[in-house]
Amino acid sequence: MTVATNAWFTKYFTDYTYDEMFTPDLSVKEDWQELLENFKRIGIDGLTQRQNDINWLLEENGVTYNVYNDPNGLNRPWNLNVVPLILQAKEWQKIEKGLKQRAHLLDLVLKDVYGERKLIKEGIVPHEVIYGHRGFLRQCDKIQYKIDKHLLLYAADLARGTDGRMWVVNDRSQAPSGMGYALENRSTANRVLSDIFAEMNIKRLSEFFKEFNELLLEASPDKVENPNIVILTPGSHNETYFEHAYLASFLGYPLVQGNDLVVRDGFLFMKSLKGLKKVHVVLRRVDDVFTDPLELREDSHLGVAGLLDVVRRQNVAVVNPIGSGVLENPGLIPFMPAICKYFLKEDLQLPQIASWWCGQEKEKDYVLKNLANLVIKPIDRTNREHIHFGSQMTEEELATLRKEILKKPYHFVAQERISFSTAPNYSKGTFEPRNMVARTFTIAGKNGYNVMPGGLVRVAPERGKLRVSNQRGGTSKDFWIIGDLKSEETANYSWNRKSAVSASGLDDLPSLTAENLYWAGRYVGRTLVNARFLRMVLKQMNTPEISSNQQTCSVKMNILYKAVTQMTGTYPGFMEKNKEGVYAIDNPLKEMMAVVLDRNKIGSLANSMMMFSNSYYSIRNLWSSDMWRVFENIQKLWRNLENEKEITVNKMIKTLNQLITRLIAFMGLIEESIMVEQGLLLYFIGLQLEQSMLTITKCRSLLVIKQSGQTEYEVLESLLSSHESLNIYRYSYRSYIRVEPVISLLLMDLKYPRSLTFQLGRLQKDISRLPHSQKSDALMHYEKYVFEAFSKLRLANSDQLATVKENDGNIRKDLDKLLEELSDLLFSTSQTISNTYFNHTYKQSQLVDQNFPL
Amino acid sequence: MLYSVTHTTKYDYDAPVSYCHNIAVLKPRRSLGQELLEYKMSIAPEADEVSERVDFFGNFITRFSIQKEHKQLKVTTKSKLRREYEQYKTEFRSDRCTKVSLEQAKENLLKTDLEILDAKQFVLDSIFINKTGEAVEKYARESFKPNRSVFEAAEELMQRIYTDFKFVSGFTSVSTPIDVVMQERKGVCQDFAQIAIACIRAIGLPARYISGYIETLPPPGQEKLIGADASHAWFSIFIPGFGWVDFDPTNNQIPGDQHLVVGWGRDYYDVPPLKGVVYGSGKSRLSVEVDIARVV
Repeated sequence: MTVATNAWFTKYFTDYTYDEMFTPDLSVKEDWQELLENFKRIGIDGLTQRQNDINWLLEENGVTYNVYNDPNGLNRPWNLNVVPLILQAKEWQKIEKGLKQRAHLLDLVLKDVYGERKLIKEGIVPHEVIYGHRGFLRQCDKIQYKIDKHLLLYAADLARGTDGRMWVVNDRSQAPSGMGYALENRSTANRVLSDIFAEMNIKRLSEFFKEFNELLLEASPDKVENPNIVILTPGSHNETYFEHAYLASFLGYPLVQGNDLVVRDGFLFMKSLKGLKKVHVVLRRVDDVFTDPLELREDSHLGVAGLLDVVRRQNVAVVNPIGSGVLENPGLIPFMPAICKYFLKEDLQLPQIASWWCGQEKEKDYVLKNLANLVIKPIDRTNREHIHFGSQMTEEELATLRKEILKKPYHFVAQERISFSTAPNYSKGTFEPRNMVARTFTIAGKNGYNVMPGGLVRVAPERGKLRVSNQRGGTSKDFWIIGDLKSEETANYSWNRKSAVSASGLDDLPSLTAENLYWAGRYVGRTLVNARFLRMVLKQMNTPEISSNQQTCSVKMNILYKAVTQMTGTYPGFMEKNKEGVYAIDNPLKEMMAVVLDRNKIGSLANSMMMFSNSYYSIRNLWSSDMWRVFENIQKLWRNLENEKEITVNKMIKTLNQLITRLIAFMGLIEESIMVEQGLLLYFIGLQLEQSMLTITKCRSLLVIKQSGQTEYEVLESLLSSHESLNIYRYSYRSYIRVEPVISLLLMDLKYPRSLTFQLGRLQKDISRLPHSQKSDALMHYEKYVFEAFSKLRLANSDQLATVKENDGNIRKDLDKLLEELSDLLFSTSQTISNTYFNHTYKQSQLVDQNFPL
Repeated sequence: MLYSVTHTTKYDYDAPVSYCHNIAVLKPRRSLGQELLEYKMSIAPEADEVSERVDFFGNFITRFSIQKEHKQLKVTTKSKLRREYEQYKTEFRSDRCTKVSLEQAKENLLKTDLEILDAKQFVLDSIFINKTGEAVEKYARESFKPNRSVFEAAEELMQRIYTDFKFVSGFTSVSTPIDVVMQERKGVCQDFAQIAIACIRAIGLPARYISGYIETLPPPGQEKLIGADASHAWFSIFIPGFGWVDFDPTNNQIPGDQHLVVGWGRDYYDVPPLKGVVYGSGKSRLSVEVDIARVV
């Protein structure tokens, strides 16, 4: 097949520069040819279908990339193009060798700059390139490690340069991202293109991840059987949080935040539900300066105070070591050939992008003369925001930059602006050439370095654009190295796991995870109970009786509206006039809409949903893909309602109906997808506690004040219906609805799962399984509160609770008092559980307040 | 001269602190003409663990943590020092030092012997002295001229800071930017030291920050008050071809025996006497007392 015969590529060549698919004489490379044959077989419609399948799978699995300050929401879906990038094993072997050499070399540089600094002393590297780089942390000077290699994980961005070879354009060393995305891309591509995978000899990734796991185990300074390994994430707002969670669940190690860890007696510990558990290895995704607020950036809340000293004492290994950010340094590029000669007495194998360091006179002059044609970077800020593209700058901007360079020349590096090769991207039925960059991953192994056979390929968001960055949108590709032989997957990524943290139970649950599960339970409970109640009230607003029987209706509706405010806590709401003197009851629909839809109103349904999403998102490493699907579904449902032009009572009821069913599905999934040892118990405790509290509020709002005949009947009916208990009531009592049996059913029934007694009984059982509960025969304080609440209910009598005493007007005082006491007890329970198990409440502060721009 | 120095730092918290990690740069380092004879640090409540190391610049760093709940932290150090520095001061006035012009200094700085290589890092921006504005350079250029002696220029810079800047405590804090101090022309000893350092670096020469103590003498006929002495800071300039020379812009003098060195770095950030991370919900109140006594 020649390209000309393939109609798909007719438009492909219009701005052809150098494309991955072709040899220099414009014939299609052999392996690409095979891919195209396969695509031809699949057909254009088939390919579109495959692309849709990929998009669907990624969405299903919740693969996202957070974009800071993105108006379209925090989590942008990850894009993977159906066309992979293909490289022949023969070419790859050379690159692999070059990457190993570079990793080895950078490891030596790292050891030297924090050790003897011979590179500086012997004039191989100018001192400013190291001392003037903010990533050179003097606090890390002379730290000794037990492991042979210091640079354990190294990522290099490669792009094909003008000479047809792959060039190194970026070095990433402190906490490189992308490995998890590469793995996710592979697993998605493997599913959607399984027929092609069966035919082509694509190198597999499983061996690499096995080696990566071994690296983490070997890194432990304590040669224990099962070192404890944790993955430290900055949190769910980080741009690559998906990947942190993905790697945590793939490798089976706890995902923790700085708050989950603490330094005591020179060791690092994880705060778990049971207490402190020693940590041996930290795979961190937090940047160097944020890892220790004691010695590094004081304002960091992402690290652990004292961590660096634990490292110094060789009691924990951090991967990569703190301080390795100094290698993310384009100022080193011009000196790499000399460094290579110096350390290895050989030539640098991989070409690098041409770079001029302005700390040298000749270079500086060249750069200043050619500023408009160069790309200028500070040596220590290599993220996009700090890069200047000379060609896109005005004269004025160039003049400012020139001044900046002259003021601090050593701080700048200029690089050649070249157009890298393109690779075909499938988009809307055609193939387009897009500029691409491949991130490769190299890790330390027992015998030298190992390279991932593949990597993360990113392409520019549009045809003709040079910039390739996830922050700016864009798409990714799976990266195939094609060998001569079939390579077999190691059976299902499974290997002998030596680490114990994953397998152990509830005791070792990180307390932040526990807290998130607890709050997830509380918010899901709140959302469900309130959605049901609001649905009931909205339905009543919509009934025709409202006009026929004005009197009862308005009294009843008044009671229900007030209950809405009390249940949701959206004061003043229907209770009294607001600050502007407006009485919500005069326009109930408006207030009801706000209670349902206003996400800024604390307590509103929309607000609870948001809180519920936040807590779920923070524990996403525990989710199954079904859960993610239902979760997304709920979000969509809600967005649809929000986007309605005109919101009617009927539309809200319809949405609430769907919401309730989906929530129930979701709750069912939680129970079968997460194990009790993983923290499901905490979820249950939160859920039961919330439901109990809301049952109490509801009963207080609707039962305490005795109403006249018909109104009382209707209020009771509403109560039962919002509690989904009308049919049970009719079945159990077969009578006209009266207050005593209602109290009996909703509050005191021992067997009915929706009754308060039942819920408290269950809560009592669940909290007795918490780690501290089992310590002795005596009850823990939180257990005492629940026990007391349970006993109070058991000792009460429904007839007595229903009675209104002579001097009490129309108030059921006994009922009110009991419910108030129960409410206080449950509040105390919640407080003490929080204090005992999730004590992150210690505020971290500095003795001396010093904000500085490190 | 033999000195005994007692330095007490006290933090009172209005709510209990559950634990804290701290770093102290309080143990005097070895420096020209100065020797540490005895040293003892006491921490109350007693620290659960204490360790000491020497940092990148050669200072002693003490790290400790307190893991029990406390409402007050008190760190007291007692040092006995021998300071015989006056003898070196005559050297500064020698030709070897005073004859080095700015032009020569800059040329000497291009050499790559170890002393120069080590000093050169003190030309670069540091944590607190960073991206200083043109006002600083302009201020510096008034004293530093290509053909003028660096020593003379530095001495004049010290004098000018002493005259132009007002000593006002409480106006600045640790994190007040240099440019603000430059504009307002007021601050305390550490601001003056950092202004001078910023000026010298703007010229292209190395300068470092020195943290220490100064003995204050009572007016004639009066008795010295306990605790009247203070933590102090000054600067040092590197004159290539000669070496480091100290200046104290707060007192307009070249430090002598009454100046006691604790540590040095690029700026205050490298040698804060005491810093730390505390876990608790309250605010803290700091009080510091320094007492320097001559040992007879």
